[in-house]
Amino acid sequence: MAEPDLDVHLPAIASGDAQAFAAWMASAEPALRVSLRRFARQVDVEAVLQETLLRAWQIAPRLTPDGRANALLRVSHRIAANLAISETRRRGRRPEAPPVEEPEVSPSPPDPLLRRVIARCREKLPAKPAEALDARLGAAGGIDDASLAATLGLKKNTFLQSFGRARKLLKACLEKSGVRLEEVLA
Amino acid sequence: MNHDDDTPGPGDEPTDDALIEEVAGAWRPRDPRQLRFHPYWHDLSEEARVEAYDRARENRALEAALDPDGLSSTARAVLARIVGG
Repeated sequence: MAEPDLDVHLPAIASGDAQAFAAWMASAEPALRVSLRRFARQVDVEAVLQETLLRAWQIAPRLTPDGRANALLRVSHRIAANLAISETRRRGRRPEAPPVEEPEVSPSPPDPLLRRVIARCREKLPAKPAEALDARLGAAGGIDDASLAATLGLKKNTFLQSFGRARKLLKACLEKSGVRLEEVLA
Repeated sequence: MNHDDDTPGPGDEPTDDALIEEVAGAWRPRDPRQLRFHPYWHDLSEEARVEAYDRARENRALEAALDPDGLSSTARAVLARIVGG
């Protein structure tokens, strides 16, 4: 199967369409996260990734396609690696991984089987883990865990334990339905 | 330290596992002047940082699968910053 070309979204993104950028991120984010794993000991990958995505949005209007697929993803990969290296150096450490000359990164569209099965698994969650999962999903990265826990009347540790339990239960339920998350992520 | 203990300790001090779980979330401090790490990321050992990365990767896949538009909390957080300015 041919690799999907996320640059189909590029004209709309360049014109300022945030929803087009959201569609691009849905497939680009997993690939960019994987590319940053080699820096996980040295930098906060989540912070670097969010900054990379913001910069991708900012540079998209000035990006000139080079005739190959996934130009914005390839440029973003370089931004991510350079940011990770720069943050490592800023903290007085030597980067373990050298910069990548020609990025090898492919888009990862959402897995359709995972999407079909997970809704049923979510319905089976006990109340407390479901509550913690819903709180994190509703916050969408915009609210810290201490505030989320306080909203639910929980200590932060209890909230985090409930969230961790939700993830483990979802994974176990998915596996019973024939979906191994490790294989989806591989 | 008992990581399976469901009872928070005095002052609700975070356990190692709780720190990893928190860093594996998508929330990050916002600062328009510079990239900010999660404050607890600095408290993690290198092995725990990799564990937080792996857990975050699973979290984002589950979140995206549960989202009607296939967006993880990371993508939602970025989108909010783009739209919100």
